[in-house]
Amino acid sequence: MTKIWKETGFVAKDAWVIETDEVKAGEGETPIYALDAFLAAAAETNGGGLGVLVAPADDVQKLEPYLDRIALIAIAFPAFSDGRGFSHAALLRERLDYQGELRAVGDVLIDQVPLMLRTGFDSFAVTNETALKRLDEHCLMGVAQQYQPTARSSKTVAGFSWRRIGSTGA
Amino acid sequence: MHDIGLHLKKNEAGELGFAVYVGGGQGRTPLIAKKIRDFLPEADLLTYVTAIVRVYNLNGRRDNKYKARIKILVHETGAEELTRQVEAEFDQIRDSELKLPEADIRSIEAYFAPPALADRAEGWEALARAKKADAAFAAWVGQNVQPHSHPDYGMVTISLKPIGGTPGDASDAQMDLVADIAERYAFDEIRVSHEQNLILPHVAMGDLYPVYQALEKSGLATANAGLITDMIACPGLDYCALANARSIPVAQEISLRFGSQARQAEIGELKIKISGCINACGHHHVGHIGLLGVEKKGAELYQITLGGSGDENSSIGEIIGRGFEPEKVTDAIETIVDTYLGLRLDPKETFLLAYRRVGPKPFKDALYGATAEAA
Repeated sequence: MTKIWKETGFVAKDAWVIETDEVKAGEGETPIYALDAFLAAAAETNGGGLGVLVAPADDVQKLEPYLDRIALIAIAFPAFSDGRGFSHAALLRERLDYQGELRAVGDVLIDQVPLMLRTGFDSFAVTNETALKRLDEHCLMGVAQQYQPTARSSKTVAGFSWRRIGSTGA
Repeated sequence: MHDIGLHLKKNEAGELGFAVYVGGGQGRTPLIAKKIRDFLPEADLLTYVTAIVRVYNLNGRRDNKYKARIKILVHETGAEELTRQVEAEFDQIRDSELKLPEADIRSIEAYFAPPALADRAEGWEALARAKKADAAFAAWVGQNVQPHSHPDYGMVTISLKPIGGTPGDASDAQMDLVADIAERYAFDEIRVSHEQNLILPHVAMGDLYPVYQALEKSGLATANAGLITDMIACPGLDYCALANARSIPVAQEISLRFGSQARQAEIGELKIKISGCINACGHHHVGHIGLLGVEKKGAELYQITLGGSGDENSSIGEIIGRGFEPEKVTDAIETIVDTYLGLRLDPKETFLLAYRRVGPKPFKDALYGATAEAA
């Protein structure tokens, strides 16, 4: 079963539902549209609080005109080996200055969570059993030394301006 | 021959930077990298590489794991269009936090600062005396010691290719010995070369003889750096689950066949590289003579490529013809070497230069007979 995790812990009630042909948001739920459906819906209304799903092959630049009306962007990881979502997250946070919730969905594994946090994700739809168990145990191992600046700020180290100490990790 | 190649250079103003190449690689699809930028200032290094990796991450192939490579993206997109995409991404991030401040560059320089080398001119006399008294030492100095920017010092290659041994292998006792030598004579520095040898970058001329004597006792003073027995071989079927064929026994047999010091010196610079499968860990594509082990009908077979090179004028070797059984591969190498010795213009024309001049035909004829091409 899928649970939503944030750095504050598991979320008891989450209203977001990824809409597909079979699944639709019900009473008290909020839809997350696939990118094309989102672009069509967003062009028709001026409402805020929207949710959108970005697939690996999508171009996040298309979201730029609507970012202040979006409350949640879900980034799909259909397989852990498809890392395009990391670039999407980095572009949304660093280049487009997206401030809303950024959620990793799909094949979210425990060893990728610290890296996703660094890239700017702040919520995770987790199904993998090991990942759920480790998150429940607050066991989130990261890498202590970091060499790349990312969306998430980290402590600087004397001598090299680009070397960092991670906020998670051993 | 790499995903990203950086060639350190100076521009007309004398500033340090890099020529940037992308999309090289070996394995099942050997490709030589394309130059996408002639000069990148050193401060932009991390930013530019990030742009390359981001363009690759977003646009690289995902449908086939063998094609999920920068080289495939460069090949399919074209170097010109890829350059445009990388430059466009670089423009967006060039002044970001990744840009290296001067202070960082200075810190890196300080880390790699060369040791303070005192003049040791008196060492030349001791060196001359030792060379005169010990012919094997003289041969080792001639083959395994390269010039240093300080005239009283040399750069020593410790060959891990004893004749008939396992290429690139060293025991714990040998590693301890090399560490002791580096501590005493070589400013605590040991480099590992991609040729599977060890390098002591700074050794005074006057210290070469004691260094040699210590190495020699431990079987580490083979005078074959850059010669035919200085082969690169992957672990092969003996140790690797991916391999289709053995590499080490093939290397050992070739080493024994060409082990004589005089014969190696006569042949001159010749790089043989052996891979036990198509993943090409032994870099056979860039061997002057490359051997690729394949499996055919349950038996090992070695395909020979000629004319590859991994230096600044890199080239990918050409397959010369059908493969050879394990017991015939050393004879085939000998045929190739003898053909080269017979056709070279003079001893200064290395195997690679000769091959580039004459092409594959004389070697094909020698290996398969002159009629084979018509068949």
